[in-house]
Amino acid sequence: MFPNLERTFVKYLFGREMKILVVEDEKGLAESITDYLSREGFVCEVANTFWQADEKISLYQYDCTIVDLTLPDGNGFDIIQTLKKIAAATGIIIISARNTLEDKLKGLEIGSDDYMTKPFHLSELNARVKSLIRRRNFGGNNDMIWKDIRVNLPARKVFICEAETMLSRKEYDLLLYFLSNIDVALTKESIAEHLWGDNMDSADSLDMVYSHIKNLRRKIVEKGGKDYIQSIYGIGYKFTAP
Amino acid sequence: MKLLEKASRIYLLASLLIYLAVGIAFFWIIKFMIYEEVESRLMVEKRDFEAYVRTNDTWTTNSYFVENKIEVVPVFSKFKNEVAFTDTLISNRYEQTADPFRQLTFYTLIGGSPYRVAIRKSMIESYKLIEAISAAMIAFLGLLLVSTFFFHRVLSGKLWEPFYDSLAKIKDFDWTKNKPLEPIRSEITEFNELGDVMEKMASKMQHDYRSLREFAENASHEIQTPLALINARVEQFIQSKDLGEDHTYWIEEIYHAARRMSRLNQGLLLLAKIDNQQFTEQEDLDLSELALNKLKDFEDILRHKDIQLSVQSRGSFRKVMSPALAEILLTNLISNAIRHNHPGGELRLEAGADFVQISNTGNPLKSDPERLFERFKKESTGAESLGLGLAIVKQICDNCDLQISYRYSESIHIIRLQ
Repeated sequence: MFPNLERTFVKYLFGREMKILVVEDEKGLAESITDYLSREGFVCEVANTFWQADEKISLYQYDCTIVDLTLPDGNGFDIIQTLKKIAAATGIIIISARNTLEDKLKGLEIGSDDYMTKPFHLSELNARVKSLIRRRNFGGNNDMIWKDIRVNLPARKVFICEAETMLSRKEYDLLLYFLSNIDVALTKESIAEHLWGDNMDSADSLDMVYSHIKNLRRKIVEKGGKDYIQSIYGIGYKFTAP
Repeated sequence: MKLLEKASRIYLLASLLIYLAVGIAFFWIIKFMIYEEVESRLMVEKRDFEAYVRTNDTWTTNSYFVENKIEVVPVFSKFKNEVAFTDTLISNRYEQTADPFRQLTFYTLIGGSPYRVAIRKSMIESYKLIEAISAAMIAFLGLLLVSTFFFHRVLSGKLWEPFYDSLAKIKDFDWTKNKPLEPIRSEITEFNELGDVMEKMASKMQHDYRSLREFAENASHEIQTPLALINARVEQFIQSKDLGEDHTYWIEEIYHAARRMSRLNQGLLLLAKIDNQQFTEQEDLDLSELALNKLKDFEDILRHKDIQLSVQSRGSFRKVMSPALAEILLTNLISNAIRHNHPGGELRLEAGADFVQISNTGNPLKSDPERLFERFKKESTGAESLGLGLAIVKQICDNCDLQISYRYSESIHIIRLQ
């Protein structure tokens, strides 16, 4: 329905094409990630093994690298160390099934920007990739504009039809999450996890998602915006042009 | 009792007994030899006396001297032809004391009539000799006892030094760390053997611990990866525009089941990690303050469920434990108190110098409170509850020497940590 928008969204957001390398040995997962991110407009490449990854990072420049720590023929930490040496500008997100504190600390210590524990939501990964690229390329100093919504990131201010709108902290996070995942069906669970983290896994948090969405929708419409939040029965929500 | 002390005590007791026996035996031997000497001299004098009587056939009592006193008494009644040695006391002429004498009594005929003859010999000198020898012996034996006792102590201390050294090293050894057991070396073969065995055991322990830990982690990794794939595929699938209502129902079910399984897996992995004592980092924490900070994370949900929060802090409950575990512990307790609360209910946090207490309103337990902390014990059959939260809490408490107790009174559930 909005093929052009989807394809060019990244280019529109960041002014140029963004290249991403996905280092993941599980082929299905690698495919899911690249499909999802390509749909967002990223240019994705996959490395299934340590050596493929090693070759690719020495040949090409990537804006962001998504690295699985456990590879059949090597350790993701080594790839990150090489990357830090030859291409310091590349953003690095670790995806790992290991959720020990030591691994997380080690990852951050050697220069990765983010750490996600499997299983994760693709929408969350997408949001983090975008936020990382934004931080790396613009120092977080650009406005996020979509339709008649403008978000000034450093000031955390939201303008709907150029009128400042006061949002609560969670509503602001929710809006940013939506803006990072335009035209994507988001599950209630992924939204809840994005807003409150892992610990809040209960039926209550899904109710809270509902009430926050209701408030956000009301605030956008009040200022003259359209109702961009579309409910998908049984699944969740989608932020899209009506 | 310490090894050295025990050895010293046994040594002291045994030496005392042996020295006592030796002393007594020595005393008797000396006494016996002196008596032998005295008696043989008395016998010589008896022969002299008899020779004198035979030649002169008479005896003049000249009993002026105490020494060598010979007493001749005529016997009228019976004539016993016997020779006997006896101990006797004769009063000293000058001092009012009785002196010991050895006396040889025999019967003989002087001038045809029977006489009983007693030849005596003073034992004063001999007794003095015995006393002197005994005193010297006691002194020497005592000296020997004391000096060997101290020598033994010092020697044992030196000999057992490698043992105590090893003991200290073994005490220091932590199999959850990568550092191997420090080698135990000494010139004594047995201690070296002990050291070798301990080193082997220690490295085996570390190896087993590592492989167990790796297994748990690898298993979790292997399970999480396909779960991540299911999640990702579901997320991709729901992007398609033409999903029917029953499609979304099935997808939701698959998605929920996968998420549940992933959380279950993480919960079990966490339990295994606590069991294996993989949380070795220790910090001095203020649990009451930590609980207060944790409550801030739950502000949204408290407001959403309209739960009244009341905090009563009368001191800080300090505890040295792993910060990661402390966080899991308090998060689980608070989220449990919220989950089983009803809208408009109450959540109370009370803290003192030696306890933290979290109480919440809620329906009474349907199951046995004793089994509340067991794994997979669930109050609600709701799909959201895993039944691991309180089991993890219990496990953490057991591992960190915390007491946890549950009480229910007047429709309030109270969980107390101390």
